[in-house]
Amino acid sequence: MHLSATSELERAIPADIAALAGDFEALVLLYRTKVFRFALASLRDVDAAETVTQDCFLRAYQARERFRQDCSMQTWLMQIAVNLIRDHTRNRRVQFWKRANLTAKPVDVAGRTMADRARSPEAQALLQERVAAIWTAAGRLPEKQRTVFLLRFVEDMDLLEIAVATGMKEGTVKTHLFRALRAVRERIGATV
Amino acid sequence: MIAHLSSDQLSEYILGQPSLIVARHVQDCPACRAELAQFREALGEFRGAVRAWSEVEADQALEISGSVPQPRSWAVSQQLAWALLIAAVCVIASFVMPRQRGESTAGADAVLLNQVDVQVSRTAPSSMEPLMKLVVQE
Repeated sequence: MHLSATSELERAIPADIAALAGDFEALVLLYRTKVFRFALASLRDVDAAETVTQDCFLRAYQARERFRQDCSMQTWLMQIAVNLIRDHTRNRRVQFWKRANLTAKPVDVAGRTMADRARSPEAQALLQERVAAIWTAAGRLPEKQRTVFLLRFVEDMDLLEIAVATGMKEGTVKTHLFRALRAVRERIGATV
Repeated sequence: MIAHLSSDQLSEYILGQPSLIVARHVQDCPACRAELAQFREALGEFRGAVRAWSEVEADQALEISGSVPQPRSWAVSQQLAWALLIAAVCVIASFVMPRQRGESTAGADAVLLNQVDVQVSRTAPSSMEPLMKLVVQE
């Protein structure tokens, strides 16, 4: 099955997306990739990310009557995912940190995707080092900082959407993002 | 004009909410502009790398697990119903069976006690009862 959401569905306005709650399979197809990606980036474990994704849609299905449309369907699903990931991380804190420090898969993938671009080998190596540094730094961030960092810089969500998804105030989100960016920049400075 | 942007000021700019002084400095300072461009490029590549990795893993992981997650509540409730039924049968059996056994034991005991009563209430053993009729009672 192809996982990419159709552009037609992606362009749907929030009310239409809410209406999709009736057609749950369409909803899953539309957002599954996004939820899985966020879970994978947060947990760095494919099995755990898959479990969180399944649980996220199960919870959404069970609670679909309570969706109030005061946020987008995507934000609502991310809110569920954030809670599931938090529970998962807290239950398996030790294992998570062990994995977080060892995993380097996106960096390997980055090497392949960046090889296509017109850059000198030196520039490419430097950029790959920076991506690796960001990945390492993101893995070492405190839970809340990591969550808002990934929602902002991987999922492209704005501050208000992140605030709704995480249940934080917008100002708090900004503070966590600010600290996360500082830590990431320090990490880049230390490695390059 | 400030010398160069600090790490915090660069972060401010990346988050899209720079102060007026920071915004003006970026316009005028090629070094800080280059620094920002490098950081943005690294963040962009990071996003691309995570997305590419996720797509590779998703194609494998989510395809294996099937299309749409079926609600497990129905399966769970069926299992729960069976478990409750078995538990109920066990509870009823634990109440009914000892009572039945108790009732049959009590019946046998009553018959025995009656026999004992009859024997005890006799003035003489049954074999001597004909002789007792010959005894004149005062």
